[in-house]
Amino acid sequence: MHKCNCENPLVPEIVEVIDIIDETPDVKTFKVSKIGGGVPFDVMPGQLAMVSLVPVGEGMFSVSWQEDNDHLQFAIKRVGLMTDELHRIEVGQKLGVRGPYGNGFPVEACKGKNMLFIGGGIGLAPLRSFIKYCFKHREDYGKITIIYGSRSYADLCFKDELFDKWPKEKETEVYVTIDKPEEGWDGHVGFVPSYLEELNISPENTIAVTCGPPVMIKFVLEVLEKMGYTDDQVITTLEMRMKCGIGKCGRCNIGSEYICLDGPVFTLAQLKQLPPEW
Amino acid sequence: MKVFKKGRLEKILDKLSESAEVYVPMMRGAQSGFFDYKTYNPDFDELVLEALNVLRPPKEVVFPQTEKMYSFKQEGQDVIIDKVYEDENPRIIFGIRACDLKAIEYLDEVFLTCGYEDAFYKKRRENTVFIANACYTPGKNCFCESMGVNPVEPELADIVLREYSDEGYVWEVKTEKGENITRLISDLLEDKEVQLPELKKFVIKVDYDGVAEKLKGLFEHPMWDRLSEPCQTCGICTYICPTCHCFDIQVKAWGDEGYRFRCWDSCMYREYTQMAGGHNPRETAKERFRNRFLHKLEFFYERYGKPLCTGCGRCVFVCPSGVSIVKIIEEIKGA
Repeated sequence: MHKCNCENPLVPEIVEVIDIIDETPDVKTFKVSKIGGGVPFDVMPGQLAMVSLVPVGEGMFSVSWQEDNDHLQFAIKRVGLMTDELHRIEVGQKLGVRGPYGNGFPVEACKGKNMLFIGGGIGLAPLRSFIKYCFKHREDYGKITIIYGSRSYADLCFKDELFDKWPKEKETEVYVTIDKPEEGWDGHVGFVPSYLEELNISPENTIAVTCGPPVMIKFVLEVLEKMGYTDDQVITTLEMRMKCGIGKCGRCNIGSEYICLDGPVFTLAQLKQLPPEW
Repeated sequence: MKVFKKGRLEKILDKLSESAEVYVPMMRGAQSGFFDYKTYNPDFDELVLEALNVLRPPKEVVFPQTEKMYSFKQEGQDVIIDKVYEDENPRIIFGIRACDLKAIEYLDEVFLTCGYEDAFYKKRRENTVFIANACYTPGKNCFCESMGVNPVEPELADIVLREYSDEGYVWEVKTEKGENITRLISDLLEDKEVQLPELKKFVIKVDYDGVAEKLKGLFEHPMWDRLSEPCQTCGICTYICPTCHCFDIQVKAWGDEGYRFRCWDSCMYREYTQMAGGHNPRETAKERFRNRFLHKLEFFYERYGKPLCTGCGRCVFVCPSGVSIVKIIEEIKGA
């Protein structure tokens, strides 16, 4: 699972940005491919890659989708020095990329299950790779429910998929909420955990997958427990500061687990074995 | 037995330096550490082979404090990586003690196992020869024996030196690498049967047995508030620790070129886990302090089956606030 093809795992491969999509005022999706085309490496849903704007910095990001052997997609929020610079680049820019890192979502173990995805803000980026994987292998999964929220309408990521494409998929329901009421929005208003409680999706033969800000995850986990989900039915993907991506540099540990290597995906049962330091 | 007289030490170092960087324990001003013998200046430096533990551990020979990784050039939107700096220079660590050699064994676990080999470390490590110096008289902060280290039989050593008296050292070859090195200086060695000293008693003893298992239930224990209280999170314990291996990766760029490097980092600093969005899972000094000791005594043990401490005693000696891992282990035992 941790096998890497490159000779020196800390040296990135140079890739090219082939498209940039504005998702929200502070989130852009970058599509990257090898120079001349193709993906630099294959990624499973939920896995990570280290992206570098070479002279500026490196950052670990969830791969929000691998489009066949064509390109990788990263939905990246502008939050700091490196992502700020990244948001200024244009198509054609060369980036460094190394990976894939981490365990990814248990796509095989979830086969035959109903899937409940619960996302908040940029937390939809990693979930999206699993959501799109389910649609690509639609026969392998049962009913799909997506609950997603952001601060405002403008802050919702992947709008055309959220409002147009995903609701049209077979046996799929998409519920979107924003934190505060705003003009022109006639959808649900409120935080994700309370919307989830309101919707009360049955735990029967269902796996819940959640990602968002740590505080949202913590409340969502409580609600799921209340709704009758067992610890093995709940999956989350975590984020910590990372530098090496290969379990050496130390900082992304939660207890004896390294998020870059043993995570970022954990079941609630696994998470409960770890110190609450995330 | 092969032995050499102390008066021949510099001749041996001169000879070995012809084909390798030879790192020797020295006092250099107020600092003590393993420095390249080529930089030895008798006017300023003092060779201190007899020193039990120099302040800076020799880990920096295989894992430098700052290490260039690769350089790059850019032109407009194009970027190329033009050089990867994997360092294969032959090196000898001359006079490394058993605790520091044990630490290298632990660094090997970190950098060479669990799915990925760190190529920078591996190249340095493969080209390093260890000439260890057996310890017969433990120092006042030494507790290596309690942490599973045998001070007179340093593991991983290619050659072991044994100070048999004020006259000289036994030169005991352990490996093929050691034999090759010995050939270079064989004319400086002589045959002599000598009596080796007995290992003297340790002043400090601590019982690590069962600590890792016990710590599983002590994460929320109130003792961490009390134990962490004096810590100023200066991080010196992490820098002088022979086993601490956390690093940062940073970039240096000017104009259209630059390089990426890694450098030691410390879990005692807030920035270590500070995320760009503002969230920090170990915001307080207590959380960072606890994580450091749990990493050494529990987490590393869970992952690799051994504690990340070799009992060298440096952190006990240098901590400005008197934090002692020995006392912490005792507190855990008594909790």
